[in-house]
Amino acid sequence: MATTALPQTGTYSRAWLYDWLTTTDHKKIGIMYITSSFIFFLVGGVLALGIRTQLWVPHNTFLDPTLYNQVFTMHGTTMIFFFVMPMLAGFGNYAMPLMIGAADMAFPRINALAFWIIPFSGILLFSGFLLGGAANAGWTSYAPLSEAKYSGVGQDLWIMSILLNGVSSILGAINFLVTIFKLRAPGMTLLRMPIFVWTVLVTAVLLLFAVPVLASALVMLFIDRNYGGSFFDPASGGDAILWQNVFWFFGHPEVYIMILPAFGIISETTPVFSHKPIFGYKAFVLATIAIGVMSFGVWAHHMFATGAVYLPFFSLTTFLIGVPTGVKMFNWTFTMVRGKIQFTTAMLFTVAFLMSFLIGGLDGVFAAATPVDFAITDTYFIVSHIHYVLFGGSATAIMAGIYYWFPKMFGRKLDERIGKVHFVLWFVGTQMTFFSMHLLGLAGMPRRIEDYAPTAWEPLNQLETIGAFVIALSMAVFLWNVFVSARSGEIAEDDPWDANTLEWATTSPPPPHNFDSLPEIHSERPLFDLKHGGAHGGPPLPALAGDGGGAA
Amino acid sequence: MFRALRSFARSPRIRLAALIGFSLLVIAGCAQATNDNPIPGFFPPPAATVQGEDTSGLYDLVFWIVAVIFVLVEGLIIYSVFRYRRKKGDQELPKQTHGYFPLEVAWTVIPIVLVLFVWVVALQVQDKVLAESPDPAVTVDVTGFQWQWTFDYKSLGLSYTGAGADGPTMVVPVGEPVHINEHSNDVIHSFYIRDFLFKRDVVPGRVNSFEFTVKEPGTYSGQCAEFCGLGHHQMFFTIKAVSPTDYQAWVKSEQAKAQATQAPPPSGATVIQLSASNTTAFDESTLTAPANKPFVIAFTNKEATGGPPHDVVIVGPDNKSITGMPLAQPGQTVNYSEPALPAGTYKFFCIVHPNMTGTLTVK
Repeated sequence: MATTALPQTGTYSRAWLYDWLTTTDHKKIGIMYITSSFIFFLVGGVLALGIRTQLWVPHNTFLDPTLYNQVFTMHGTTMIFFFVMPMLAGFGNYAMPLMIGAADMAFPRINALAFWIIPFSGILLFSGFLLGGAANAGWTSYAPLSEAKYSGVGQDLWIMSILLNGVSSILGAINFLVTIFKLRAPGMTLLRMPIFVWTVLVTAVLLLFAVPVLASALVMLFIDRNYGGSFFDPASGGDAILWQNVFWFFGHPEVYIMILPAFGIISETTPVFSHKPIFGYKAFVLATIAIGVMSFGVWAHHMFATGAVYLPFFSLTTFLIGVPTGVKMFNWTFTMVRGKIQFTTAMLFTVAFLMSFLIGGLDGVFAAATPVDFAITDTYFIVSHIHYVLFGGSATAIMAGIYYWFPKMFGRKLDERIGKVHFVLWFVGTQMTFFSMHLLGLAGMPRRIEDYAPTAWEPLNQLETIGAFVIALSMAVFLWNVFVSARSGEIAEDDPWDANTLEWATTSPPPPHNFDSLPEIHSERPLFDLKHGGAHGGPPLPALAGDGGGAA
Repeated sequence: MFRALRSFARSPRIRLAALIGFSLLVIAGCAQATNDNPIPGFFPPPAATVQGEDTSGLYDLVFWIVAVIFVLVEGLIIYSVFRYRRKKGDQELPKQTHGYFPLEVAWTVIPIVLVLFVWVVALQVQDKVLAESPDPAVTVDVTGFQWQWTFDYKSLGLSYTGAGADGPTMVVPVGEPVHINEHSNDVIHSFYIRDFLFKRDVVPGRVNSFEFTVKEPGTYSGQCAEFCGLGHHQMFFTIKAVSPTDYQAWVKSEQAKAQATQAPPPSGATVIQLSASNTTAFDESTLTAPANKPFVIAFTNKEATGGPPHDVVIVGPDNKSITGMPLAQPGQTVNYSEPALPAGTYKFFCIVHPNMTGTLTVK
């Protein structure tokens, strides 16, 4: 038997910057995803402040219509394609391989490629501001307004940027799927996967089916604009509604792409900080799959007012998709019931998610009833709805995720006291900004208007503008927290939260190869089993880790 | 007991909850709706049409169902948060319940039954709201284009186009079905009247139609609700409902007026010529107008056919602007009637191309 000298294992020392630029380590790529998304979140947030400042008083001249239309288009596009999606992909990248006991993603180099596409496509998108105007047809880019006759070069940059972004999503989705199906640790059966991994799995399937449809729509629009095609412009024989059908066939699964991994984060933090397992694991998995399947059958509810939709069918599917989402609300709430809830900042954000997302979900019931939708669609009621889902929902869950996984990523905890200030400002700001939008919508204020008459709309608009700045302040507090904690925060143990899943069974931060050894896996809570003795009702240990106090 | 209460009230969580609760109350307080003053509230304004009344009833049903669910679930969340918070020194693991099947079945089945019920009710209301009568009293063809509306009473030979703060007015009789056919010349718009609780998209290449029956005489303002470009926010229109007799009288007088020739600009007013041939600048960069007298800007768009529209917006020293509407299409001359302005230096620009600017001296 010949012996071969194996290359030395372990870390080679490389220059810090070179190391990050060339890394294929899923943890570093995950952190870069999260950092890049966070920068785009701040940029999108500044754009939002621009919108809110313009709407502070009637006949304001802060942004002229040309700029205002670019600003709200770029706000929506940035938040959806460059903040929420890649942020959740970042959490998936960082946590998912650790949670299933894998050493890395299945295709580490493709993983790096998928990440690096994001900042460059973002720069492409924003270059419009320097090249004669960014995209200005709204993030939905409805044809024919997005055709060459009505919008300029920014729209072409938007198409190219979103196409690239979609390539990144597809690469990421394939990588997630192969990793989950091929690299799970021995004993990690599908029904022992943490809920977060399940949501990443279903999201990856949605991306794989939905994003190519968006890509086809984008290519058709590009051909229309640049090569004399006539897919979407009725003036040359196209169909304006076709764009909406194709766009929303992507766009509604997209909504779940942006919320399912957020559900996953909440499904980790709720059990950990309630010290109880998730209530109804299998029902939760089933509900996640049901949402994934049904999300492809509801797209036309964005188009009820077009008069080109078979209303009863899409009304029914829209009502029904609320049911599995409701099941999840109950699962989370009953996970807390009879638990011993520890109010870390991550758990506070979790509760804020539950309270806000419920509002976003219930708004959907109004929109599902077609006659009510005729009244409220394209008004601020819908703006409120999407922000309760995406900001009160996804963004709040993202904050919970950051406080939850920060100690694992950097070996130090974020400061809990500053964290609570951040939380209070965030929660109050969210409600101030988005709740009264319901009322404005019912009072007839359309979305995407740059100006309004001096009416009773004014005080509520001012409340919302103040709320937006409160949220901005909360982000300043958060940045301060990261700055302080990264330097001198409390050193995190391997398992600072008394958590359940495998990422907490390794060091904080984990070594490049993730695990030196893995505990046996008998349930969706292998680490809990290890600490508290047995998967199947074995005697629990009497003591919980920590100081035993929930108080800050 | 007292000490327990006091420490309860001092706990940061309680204070936080009180703060949140207070903020929500303030928001709710800001939003009390009354009938005579349309301050934004939790309900849409009283419906002005028969169809809108049905929608309003459905809204109320959905609202109360949603409100009950909201209170129950938020209540349960808040209760759990306070009741099951971990107390100091408590290191015992709570009972590890993994689920309870009957409960999970209940919260799956009950919502399904509930949404099916709402769906059936909504469908019935939808049939009423979208019903069209075979023989409507009035038919109006609505055309939306950037950023104006045209209302055509084709059978009566009347047509109205307008833009600006009120837009064109559609006069309709009360108590009779009014049939609307929608057309678009360019992009998608949406014909939205808040008090009708209704909107319908105006889609190029497609004729959408619907009907409404106004209940009471009155003036109802409408606005484009589908984002359609630069002037989207000022694409207004007005619907004026009058009694059937007044409506007949209005038709007669309007038809008589239409027979007469178009009136020239108000006589005696100064007419200032202005034109634009490209998107870089106006052909004249300085204009002079008399102080404290209304005047007319006769604006000619000299672009070739297929070129962009232009208009003239005057901005005073106090930043108040007078927007010239409608936009002048290529080859078109539009007379903008400007109000009497005090002496001073004003700026003007094109709303489509804000880089096109000039100075107006009023003396």
